[in-house]
Amino acid sequence: MNLHEIDVAVIGSGPAGMAAAVRAKETGAKNVVILERAEELGGLLHQCVHNGFGLFYFHEDLTGPEYAHRFIEKTMDAGVRPMLETMALNISPDREITAVSNKNQFLKFRPESIVLAMGCRERSRGALNIPGTRPAGVFTAGTAQRFINVEGFLPGRQVVILGSGDIGMIMARRLTLEGARVEAVVEVLPYVGGLIRNEVQCLHDFDIPLFLKHTVTNIYGERRVEGVRVAEVDSRMNPIGGTERDIACDTLLLSVGLIPENELSLTAGVELDPVTGGPFVDGARQTTVPGIFAGGNVVHVHDLVDNVTWESEIAGESAARFAMGERIPAWAGIKLKAGRNIRYVVPHTISGNEDVTLYMRVREPEQNVRINVGDIAGKSELIVKPSSMLKIELTSEQLKKLGKNVTEVVIDCQKWGGK
Amino acid sequence: MPEGDHSAFGELNMKLDTEVLIIGGGILGTSVARELSRYRVDTTLVEREVDFGWGSTKASATVVCQGGDCLEFRKEYRNSRFVWDSIPLMEPLCRELDVPFKRIGSLSLIRNNNELVKYQKMKNLADKYLPDLEPHQWIDRDTLRRIEPHLTRDVIGALYDPKPAVTDPVRLSIALAENARENGTNIMLGTEVVSISRGTDSFEVQTTEGLIRTRFIVNAAGVYVDKIAAMVDADEFVVYPVKAWIGVLDKKVGDIIRHVVTARPSRPGELIFVNPTVHGNIFFGIPLQLNKRGDYSSTRRMSQAGFATIRSLVPDVSEKDIINSFAGYIMYRNYELGWHECVVAASRKIPRFINFCIGFPGVSAAPAASKEVIRLLSSEGLQTVEKESFKASGRAIPDFSEASDEEKKKLIQKDSRYGHVVCRCETVTEGEIVEAIKRGATTMDGVKYRTRAGMGRCQGGFCSPRVARILARELNVPEEQVTKKGKTSRLLLYKSKELLEGAVNEPA
Repeated sequence: MNLHEIDVAVIGSGPAGMAAAVRAKETGAKNVVILERAEELGGLLHQCVHNGFGLFYFHEDLTGPEYAHRFIEKTMDAGVRPMLETMALNISPDREITAVSNKNQFLKFRPESIVLAMGCRERSRGALNIPGTRPAGVFTAGTAQRFINVEGFLPGRQVVILGSGDIGMIMARRLTLEGARVEAVVEVLPYVGGLIRNEVQCLHDFDIPLFLKHTVTNIYGERRVEGVRVAEVDSRMNPIGGTERDIACDTLLLSVGLIPENELSLTAGVELDPVTGGPFVDGARQTTVPGIFAGGNVVHVHDLVDNVTWESEIAGESAARFAMGERIPAWAGIKLKAGRNIRYVVPHTISGNEDVTLYMRVREPEQNVRINVGDIAGKSELIVKPSSMLKIELTSEQLKKLGKNVTEVVIDCQKWGGK
Repeated sequence: MPEGDHSAFGELNMKLDTEVLIIGGGILGTSVARELSRYRVDTTLVEREVDFGWGSTKASATVVCQGGDCLEFRKEYRNSRFVWDSIPLMEPLCRELDVPFKRIGSLSLIRNNNELVKYQKMKNLADKYLPDLEPHQWIDRDTLRRIEPHLTRDVIGALYDPKPAVTDPVRLSIALAENARENGTNIMLGTEVVSISRGTDSFEVQTTEGLIRTRFIVNAAGVYVDKIAAMVDADEFVVYPVKAWIGVLDKKVGDIIRHVVTARPSRPGELIFVNPTVHGNIFFGIPLQLNKRGDYSSTRRMSQAGFATIRSLVPDVSEKDIINSFAGYIMYRNYELGWHECVVAASRKIPRFINFCIGFPGVSAAPAASKEVIRLLSSEGLQTVEKESFKASGRAIPDFSEASDEEKKKLIQKDSRYGHVVCRCETVTEGEIVEAIKRGATTMDGVKYRTRAGMGRCQGGFCSPRVARILARELNVPEEQVTKKGKTSRLLLYKSKELLEGAVNEPA
């Protein structure tokens, strides 16, 4: 395949990238490539050796590497060309990609369309401004996961985990199984940051102490972590004097949030939503730059891989249609607005003519609510939490009820009978 | 793992003879080493850390050539003289050693008439003392808004000084040390001075790596300068450790400020600042605080004050843009008065013993002050005969991210490892990391300060497993022996499954 004949270039080969590439090929795009900076396809799935992948997409309980393997096979069968150990450095607004690789060396090419599927990164200690010394032994949960599951090393034996995101809780269990002792999982909010299934299966089942409304206020140790200070916080998240206590440990893991990785998107002039940290996208997952599409955690952080896959398939299909000459109108359509207790809704706009799935998160946990999409659809939930993404499927029939001149639809989370 | 260059000893506790021993591998120690390497002098430099510039040097705001700020710098202080004399030396030095240097100028914000009067005085002093250097200029509010659109509107103007520049002080220290080594200086890292005893015409210096006999000592031990001096009763000065805190902003907002911007909240000495770095981040700092030395921890109060500071200067900054912060020490001669004087003197009591401590701004004063140290050594009796073989220039590790497309192509063609990006935030390639290790990086931080791998917005989350693997491979040590910053700072304490097999060795 000649670099100058590429129809769709996908950046990243995690679940998002592979799903987009496969779907682009299935939609009819001839030459589809994936640019992956690592040595193999699959992205972070390889280090997620726990199960729970594909429950909805494959109706099977797979591990991360198994899920990756299924899609690697699909990718190869579909005839997608993987460009491994290749890193995109820059994308120009007219879609010229600059990349380097130690095989193909220095590349510049301009595919017909691009799918951004770079995923996300973890918030670091520096971004959190945790006070204390700067010793070895402070890791983000995902970095520790890679060390243990891929590289074959255990960071330490006595661990405190700050934050109760999914990776943090999964690492609490993983470390326990490896023979390390998890002294505490410390969460600043009054509820856990990850999925309930992880709270139960990773913390409660292993008797790992969980401290809600607590935070780490100091790190000790000059060369290697020797301990941390933990304190309760008030409603404004300030530590409460007198509640501090020191916990001896050799390792501190951080699981305090994920940030969509959009530095490359910015080089192309793609506009980002400050709430999600990802690009503004329409129903076709087109960004604000025509011909550049996005799917998966680069758009907004998901909690289930299945949703990443589905969403990226839309991006892959749209990118293929664009590459084959179909003009997808940029940013026309109906704007979706986050209303009461809704933090964000993806996509940001919809055409109103096609079936569409809306993904959203609430701001605060609430019980007995109804999510209303304007007055055309709704869904009742017993409990909603910021950590669990909500999904509402709308049919084109339902959307017809909106009428012709509607430009905006508000999505609200209302208490039962509270209207 | 190999911690520094101990080849001079061969075996531990061997005895080494040298003519001049420099204690401290920060910007001052390495500057003296490099100056001294111009002469036929047998020189040894010892540094307690396993790399250069890990004390106060790395906690610098990276601003140099700021000596036109005559409110703090006065003619009667020798420190001012060193800073001023260094202004014309700094850029050629950085060019010679291939260290990044960028002249950006500074803006002292004027927020009321009181400040205006102070700055008028300062400008008059600068015009008087520094007639040969480019003069200050007054900037009115509208011009200020045009050249720094994100700056607070709460100002009546600014005093612009075209001279200040930014560099990379740790890279400068490394480059000075590399150049000194190339010119014959014996450098011993991971070597801490334990005690010093005086003989009739020499010193016996006991270190953690063995005994060194030397005729002259240059004490450039930074935060420990007075402790080292006290070992031979040469502590004829008092220094106070003053803690500085610096916050770092993401490169994403790296163009939000283009000059070194300073403001004086109330009392002299309470300087707050924000400045771009030579690598495209933004640094900002809060007023200094007296503190117990050696405590490099930051506190919640410091980061809160830091954020308040940056918001007061640049209201658009969001807390999300902060990617890191760090603390370090400046050794002040006279804390109470808030002014700066330095210690660059031969001990009055102990012959052939030079104390060398600048305090603030150490990096800016280093070029001229280190020449003064050579003068002091020679007046103490050191023979300084110039070497014909002295090679002045140094060459930086190729910087892939800063290279043009053509240069990138060439680098990859020459060595395919330059096509393998290891640190994605800063676009650092395997080629650069391998070169850094070849040149003496033995730790994660050593690689970081030389190449910026791990210095970006994810702070090593992605690249640290890869850098650790490359370090282990290149140094030919097990990966569990790789450290963050030498000694006991091991990154990985066990192999997977090791804790399950019963017998566990405690980490060394």
